[in-house]
Amino acid sequence: MLLPKFDFHEPATLEEACQIMAEYGTRAKVLAGGTDLLVDMKKKLSTPKQVVSITRIKEMKKIETSPDGLKLGPCFTVADVAASEAIVKRWRALCAGAKALGNPLVRNLATIGGNVVTASPSADLPPSLIAYGARVVLKKTSGERVVSLDHFFLGAGLTEIAPDEILTEIQIDAPPLYSGAGYINEGIRKCRDCNVVNVASFITLDGPDGFIKNARIVMGCVGSTDLRAVSAEKLLVGEKPSETLFARAGEAAMQEAAPRGSAESRASAEYKKDMVGVLTSRTLHLAWKEALGH
Amino acid sequence: MKRIIQLTINDKEYEVAVEPNQTLTDMLRYELGLTGTKKGCEVGDCGSCTVIMDGIPVNSCLVLAMQANGRKITTIEGLETEKGMHPIQKAFVEKGAIQCGFCTPGMILSSKSLLDKNPNPTEEEIRAGISGNLCRCTGYQKIVDAVKSVGK
Amino acid sequence: MSGYDVIGTEAPRIDAPDKATGRALFIDDMTMPGMLYGALLQSPLAHARIRGIDTSAAKQLPGVKSVVTWEDAGLVKYGVSPARYDETIFCHDKVRHVGDNVAAVAAVDLETALEAVSLIKVDYEDLPAVFTIEQAMAEGAPLVHDIYPRNISAEVHNEFGDVEAAFKECDLIKMTSLVNKRQDCAFIEPQGCIAYYDHSGTLTLYSSTQVPHYTQRSVAMVLGMPIGKVRVVKPYVGGGFGAKASANHMELAACLMSMKTGKPVKMNFEREQVFYHGRSRHQFFHTMTTGVKRDGTILALKHECYMNGGAYSSFGIATVYYAGSLLGGPYKMPNMKYDGYRIATNLPACGAQRGHGGVIARGCWEQQLDMIAEELGMDPVELRLKNIMTAGDITCNDLNMSSLGMKECIEAVRDASEWKNKKGKLPRGKGIGMACGFFVSGAGYPIYRSDTFHGTVVIKLTEDGGTALVYTASAEIGQGSDTAFAMIAAEALGIPLEMVRLESGDTDFGVDLGAYSSRQTLMTGHATKEAAEDVKRQVLEVLSKELNVPMEDMDIKKGLIVFKKEKPDFSGLRTRYIKEHRGWVDNPGAEDELSFREASRIAYLARGSIVGTGKYKPPELGGKFKGAAVGTSPAYGCSAQIVELTVDEGTGRIIIDKMVDAHDCGRAINRTSVEGQMQGSLSMGMGEALFEEVKFDARGRILNADLAEYKIPSALDMPPTEVIVVESNEPNGPFGAKEVGEGNIMATIPAILNAVYDAVGVRIYELPLNPERVHKALKEYKQKNKI
Repeated sequence: MLLPKFDFHEPATLEEACQIMAEYGTRAKVLAGGTDLLVDMKKKLSTPKQVVSITRIKEMKKIETSPDGLKLGPCFTVADVAASEAIVKRWRALCAGAKALGNPLVRNLATIGGNVVTASPSADLPPSLIAYGARVVLKKTSGERVVSLDHFFLGAGLTEIAPDEILTEIQIDAPPLYSGAGYINEGIRKCRDCNVVNVASFITLDGPDGFIKNARIVMGCVGSTDLRAVSAEKLLVGEKPSETLFARAGEAAMQEAAPRGSAESRASAEYKKDMVGVLTSRTLHLAWKEALGH
Repeated sequence: MKRIIQLTINDKEYEVAVEPNQTLTDMLRYELGLTGTKKGCEVGDCGSCTVIMDGIPVNSCLVLAMQANGRKITTIEGLETEKGMHPIQKAFVEKGAIQCGFCTPGMILSSKSLLDKNPNPTEEEIRAGISGNLCRCTGYQKIVDAVKSVGK
Repeated sequence: MSGYDVIGTEAPRIDAPDKATGRALFIDDMTMPGMLYGALLQSPLAHARIRGIDTSAAKQLPGVKSVVTWEDAGLVKYGVSPARYDETIFCHDKVRHVGDNVAAVAAVDLETALEAVSLIKVDYEDLPAVFTIEQAMAEGAPLVHDIYPRNISAEVHNEFGDVEAAFKECDLIKMTSLVNKRQDCAFIEPQGCIAYYDHSGTLTLYSSTQVPHYTQRSVAMVLGMPIGKVRVVKPYVGGGFGAKASANHMELAACLMSMKTGKPVKMNFEREQVFYHGRSRHQFFHTMTTGVKRDGTILALKHECYMNGGAYSSFGIATVYYAGSLLGGPYKMPNMKYDGYRIATNLPACGAQRGHGGVIARGCWEQQLDMIAEELGMDPVELRLKNIMTAGDITCNDLNMSSLGMKECIEAVRDASEWKNKKGKLPRGKGIGMACGFFVSGAGYPIYRSDTFHGTVVIKLTEDGGTALVYTASAEIGQGSDTAFAMIAAEALGIPLEMVRLESGDTDFGVDLGAYSSRQTLMTGHATKEAAEDVKRQVLEVLSKELNVPMEDMDIKKGLIVFKKEKPDFSGLRTRYIKEHRGWVDNPGAEDELSFREASRIAYLARGSIVGTGKYKPPELGGKFKGAAVGTSPAYGCSAQIVELTVDEGTGRIIIDKMVDAHDCGRAINRTSVEGQMQGSLSMGMGEALFEEVKFDARGRILNADLAEYKIPSALDMPPTEVIVVESNEPNGPFGAKEVGEGNIMATIPAILNAVYDAVGVRIYELPLNPERVHKALKEYKQKNKI
């Protein structure tokens, strides 16, 4: 399989990268890990005339942790997310997503930024990121803006990023006290699989062993973007956590999922819906355990 | 347009003129004759093109040759020294971990990376460590046994 | 105990060091000076009339050296079985499946070749297509080939005994079905080839093939050349499993374009093309009715099978026979009726894959036997033990079980898995299941009707003495046959393995039908043994004369001459040998035994090059009924398996926890390789049971023609496996050896089906058992039983 012809840019600074994007716009594509872009290019699904690698720009690989939260460069690899002690300590569900993504070889190349920008509704990192309330920084020559991931995804493969913008940072706040999150993806095999359904749940309790103060449930693979299970979230708030409650939340989430089943997809709509229920209650269980300090 | 890149492959310095759309796999195989790096799928699904880049095993089919500029690459050819085969290579031979041999170079390089990080992996860790490399012949058991035997 | 020095050991494979170090050359690792690169134009439509092909733009593209279509290639039909030759290199009247071959280009580089392919304009007239058996057999359905009415490309009807009469004697009659999905062999190395037509008019095809011999014949026949002018050479091959067991269009196109240009032409399949070439396992629809007595005695089986074959026959006529005949054993069963139909559709052709024809049939039947055991209140192991055949039994369809360690296999897995403590006693969600299987050790007859030997081997001693060169046209494709034959040669000749060098996979070395139907160890093994014995006899003849010792009083063992009676004075021979090796530092000392090296040098001095030949062809096998040849074999391997697994009742996901497999391979030539074949079979069977399925859209395009969405097991999916080698000493095998490559896959699917039932009480009649299918079955089960 041959890659189509293109010009290759490997800017050393972000400014330079932004200038290139400003110049070429839609004719250019940003290359990070390449595990999606180069595959699409080999299959001729994407044929950018300009490919702009940002992996040599130092700050694109950064990880900054503070009591307030976490800032990650887009080229921080998925393998690094999976292995980061700082991340596993406070953002366990994100780690779980990273560990579930593809296989070790893919994780070594794939980046967190790429996993977000590709905007695949079955991607492993966005559900947890959305559940944690993450934001992304989008930069161009004339300035930058911060966008919540809640509003970032517009459809399969579609995002808020303008042709001349580069995603330069992912920001996640530190979860409040008595919080926890869980992420589970269901594929066919134990690894290296694209997901059939994936769910991330995040809850905050109002005290140790308290009532649910805040809940966020994000469902993947059941719409053109990741979906929030709003009614399930509402159902949880103000309640005392229990497996029965989580099962009810699962059922509510099922009603909100709008999966499309077809020969092309990896499972029928009915199965996906059922799995939303199962995974919602299971991830809530994980979140609860973490919130309790387990 | 072709550009000259410089990189270190198996401890040897190279200067190679490459096209932007050339992958690291194709450069290794067709420009440098390092054909131990195999092509099974070309889209990162099978792992037979695995090389170690700056200490990390990657699918070289998903790396542009130009991205390898300035990097340190180890291919399967780099594991054998004048003293003979690498202990992992020997273990693969002795434990019967090789059948058709097409996945073997990638499998050995993934195993080496695993053992470099974790010299005494459990069976589950070994299976996870080589799960990026598909093998259709062996059922993996003898590969796991081989890696385990080096670990000990 | 066996008294053998080389065979039965765990000797490392002779090809392993080259493969471990990246030195082993596979087809795409080879280049030739002036080589061109080829590419195929393949149909985007499933069924369409070709109204015209315009290659003018492609031909004008700079760098293009050859553009060929049916007009250049001719229309000689070929295929696998001469009774069903229904392919041409390129389509001329119509395309019959997406990926069907229309034209090919050779150019100075791949980029140019691909660009030229994109410039070829084909005027298609879309035709209605048939993709399913129902569509294909419907009244008035479009025909894929005019020669197959109702799209039936092959059918089989046979009955042994009287099934209906037997059913009247039965206490329990059970009918069930099983359907699988189309598979892909999914070897890791895509097919590739280099063809070179040289100035002497010889065409050499280097190819990733399982069958150099059949490919040689197809190339010669299709291109109208004498067989002697066509040489097929197989470099190392990255797996085959059946799909590489016949000539493909790419090989023929490369040959044609090399003949046109006089240059070597290299071509490779991309992974997607591997899927579109297909030739892997069919989709089978089996329905079986079995009748038994109250005590578990099996009396009769009525069996009907429909197979979705795709657009060409490939191996299909054999497949449809195998699907029936391979149920003749390993259980005693006097009455069997079989009706099989292979249906042509507008999908890529199916062919042979590990366990050819028998795998899904076995899955269906062994699940049914478990159900029968339950209804009779018998342990499934006991039911099987009650009915198994033993050595010397002959099936109702005339298959002779000349050796059969079925009982030993069942007992071995039963004991190794602690069956008695687990069956029916594991907590809900965990299950254990067992099944058996058996398979041929080589097809009894060649694919084309012929009295040919199935294998010939030449062994030549190097003239200096000391090294035996084995030449065989057999195909090492990863299974370890090179090592097995080197070991057989060493054992038969009485020398250490290190003194054997082996070259294989080249049609110039003789005839060998190749790597399919688990034939090589037995058949090529016999020929190797005979050639080695021939060489040994010649060496001993010379020695006998030189030393005046009767032949029968001498032997060769471990590289030394053994004198069974009084040791003669061989100092004269030794002096002659040493004289010729002045300066050598490893010459034998006065006290040393006479070595094979010395003896073979003396033999050369007496007779010139010492060359031994061996050959093998099975005796006439099987009954006289139509199709009796399919399923016959000089010997049958058998196996038993027990699988333990966990079912996640929330998601339907199955995790295999452990697999125990015992296989009777007659005698293990190389123990490590035998185990490796067993483990590999388990893995492929497990993938087929749980994950694998080639999916199509409504227009016949493959939705998952890659190794991401066509899911073969990864190291994490495979559980720890325990393999137990059972040796029965097959009388018809070389040193007692028979098959191990395919028999093991037979039991895997039904063992998993039976374990799922043990875990959650659900019987499933459709594969693969992916989470969704299991979840659905559990849901229906719960609704039905109001749980």
